[in-house]
Amino acid sequence: MHGMINKSIEDLVTIKFGADKWEAVKKKAGVTESAFISNQSYPDAMTYGLVGAATEVLGLTADQVLYAFGEFWVTHTAFKGYGDMLMSAGRTIGEFLDYLPLFHTRVALIFPNLKPPRFECSDRHADGITMHYFSDRPGLSMVVVGMLNGIGQLYKTPVVVTQSKFKDKGADHDEFVVTWGAVDQK
Amino acid sequence: MTDSAPMLDRGQFSKLFPFHFILDGDMRILDTGSVLARICPKVVPGAAINDHFLMFRLASEPVKSLSRDFILRQQSTLFVFKSTSTDLMLRCQVLILRDPERYLFLGSPWVRNPTELKALHLVLQDFALHDSTVDLLQLVQATSTSLHDAKQLSEKLEQRVADRTAELVLANSELSRVMRSKDDFLSAMSHELRTPLNAILGLSESLAEGVYGDMNVKQVKSINTIAESGHHLLALINDLLDIAKIGAGKMELELTNTHVEDVCQASLRLVLELAQKKNLKLALSMDNKSVMLTADERRLKQILVNLLSNAIKFTPEGGSVTLATTCDVESESLMFSVRDTGIGIAAEDLSRLFSPFTQLDSKLSRQYAGTGLGLTLVLRLVEMHGGSVTVESEIGKGSCFTIRIPCKGLDTLIPHNPSGTTTLSEITSIQELPSNTPLILVADDNEINLMTVTDYLRANKLRVIQARDGLEAVKMVREHAPSLVLMDIQMPLMDGLDAIAHLRADDKHTTMPIIALTSRAMVGDRERCIAVGANDYLSKPVNMKQLVKTIHTHLTKDETR
Repeated sequence: MHGMINKSIEDLVTIKFGADKWEAVKKKAGVTESAFISNQSYPDAMTYGLVGAATEVLGLTADQVLYAFGEFWVTHTAFKGYGDMLMSAGRTIGEFLDYLPLFHTRVALIFPNLKPPRFECSDRHADGITMHYFSDRPGLSMVVVGMLNGIGQLYKTPVVVTQSKFKDKGADHDEFVVTWGAVDQK
Repeated sequence: MTDSAPMLDRGQFSKLFPFHFILDGDMRILDTGSVLARICPKVVPGAAINDHFLMFRLASEPVKSLSRDFILRQQSTLFVFKSTSTDLMLRCQVLILRDPERYLFLGSPWVRNPTELKALHLVLQDFALHDSTVDLLQLVQATSTSLHDAKQLSEKLEQRVADRTAELVLANSELSRVMRSKDDFLSAMSHELRTPLNAILGLSESLAEGVYGDMNVKQVKSINTIAESGHHLLALINDLLDIAKIGAGKMELELTNTHVEDVCQASLRLVLELAQKKNLKLALSMDNKSVMLTADERRLKQILVNLLSNAIKFTPEGGSVTLATTCDVESESLMFSVRDTGIGIAAEDLSRLFSPFTQLDSKLSRQYAGTGLGLTLVLRLVEMHGGSVTVESEIGKGSCFTIRIPCKGLDTLIPHNPSGTTTLSEITSIQELPSNTPLILVADDNEINLMTVTDYLRANKLRVIQARDGLEAVKMVREHAPSLVLMDIQMPLMDGLDAIAHLRADDKHTTMPIIALTSRAMVGDRERCIAVGANDYLSKPVNMKQLVKTIHTHLTKDETR
């Protein structure tokens, strides 16, 4: 998993719940790293372990943790590391989401060992788009929902995200219908 | 041949090259890509290129304005244009189109980071998909983020190292303080313990000497046990004091140019009686007897006596203990080895050997009395001399402790044994002195008195034999016919007065000088000694010089008789 994901979990827990909670999460997950490097690859098991430990330490459900993490990842971690790049990906949330598949293709090109997920877009219209999410990593669809909401916050455009296909219920991928207000703010 | 080059319409061409522009022969704009037209709205068909762009850093010519001649000369160069109204820089390749002649510039903006992209009001979608600019920007951003993370990690680690160092400094300081307190405590306690111990030892001795009246044999035995225990305690306290002094950095060596053989001989003399009691063969081996060493003579002797005493203690009767010295010219050091044929030490116990209060086996501890501080002290004292201690041992075969002390100038020594054979001088109670040297019998039940007097007489070139009670004294006189007897009066089994009387009753010993030595300085004591046959009487504490003088006086008298 991309180091930025683990870094984001660390930042989320530390900022929202305190450094002692993060130390407790790390201890519970058996993670000894002092810090994570954004573009380094870490074992997926470590990330799943951190999420699992966070649910226990923070007393939240897995979906709550994953959603919070996805949202935080966009608004804090990715924005901190890739803010200018992210904001250059589109003048509007529509442009941004349309560019998202290409963004991930480029990430895969730059970091061939990171195995980022793949996105496709369809049904583009003025106030909505359908995002198709392909990933070998199970159980992360709530992260995508959180991220899409986070992107809405970046563009100051509240979004409504509805998952219309579920990989864990037999579909070949997850699908999200994203809609927003009639006027983009940016 | 079919021309397979694709024919693109204007829209397709602009999608592939959104920043292109085409010039005519007068260097005026004929057409521009869609994105260039958006971000440079004044660059429209008919506009002169030189009004809107300057050429930037040309490889070969300091030309700022574009011209047909220049294009024709520099077709293979990279053209870089700098906008006169914005921060836009375009990097382009030129193609010359024919019929009519036109100049097509293909390229994209030069941007080094996403911030510059933002300043130019560009988004990633403005670039053609085949343009690697965006990939490079993403790579630059990723690298920059990684560097930032690495810097943060480095700062975190630096902080941890700093915190840990601070903790260690604090812990060290606390440890030093505790160590100093411990040493001060030990030092103070040792002094406090020594004071009453002096009284115990002094009074025990006085009681044994009969100063406070006569005692029966059982009482004498008990008081001697008290004195022995007291002496053991004193040795323990002295060792503790020395270790505490070294630990507190308060022990200073008095370094002098020391004659090694003298120190070895003196050390052996000090343990001679112990060896004799166990019938051990004590030997000295030196590869060069003239070697001198810069050392604290008293401490060096303490080291050797400690090692020799240990060797004797752990060597069964009939065995041998050898002190050997070897000059190692190469490492400029002198080695002292104490080798015994004793019980040996197991390999797994060797590492614990130099720890304080360690006797390897509690059974041994009971069987072989000791403070458990001797080897610790040896190690510390040797280290103070800049040396090291090593030990080799085998269970049942014996041990060899070697100390190595730096010693300069060994290469200038004249070899004492050029053939390489070593001299083995056995140390016996009747030493290397000539057999016609006067032989003195010292009879005293107090080991310290016995040792003190013996050492002093030997140092004054007199041979000495010893007895620890009156009966033994009589027996030794009969066996060795000494030149003179120093007879303590208060002794177990048979006191000095009876022993003198026994000797004088024997015709063979009527003229042999006998000097009575006693701490009984009561009125009439001298007369009683003289009455039973003593030639002279000296009261303790005896002045050693006076003693030797008295001995020589009587020996001379004896010769003239």
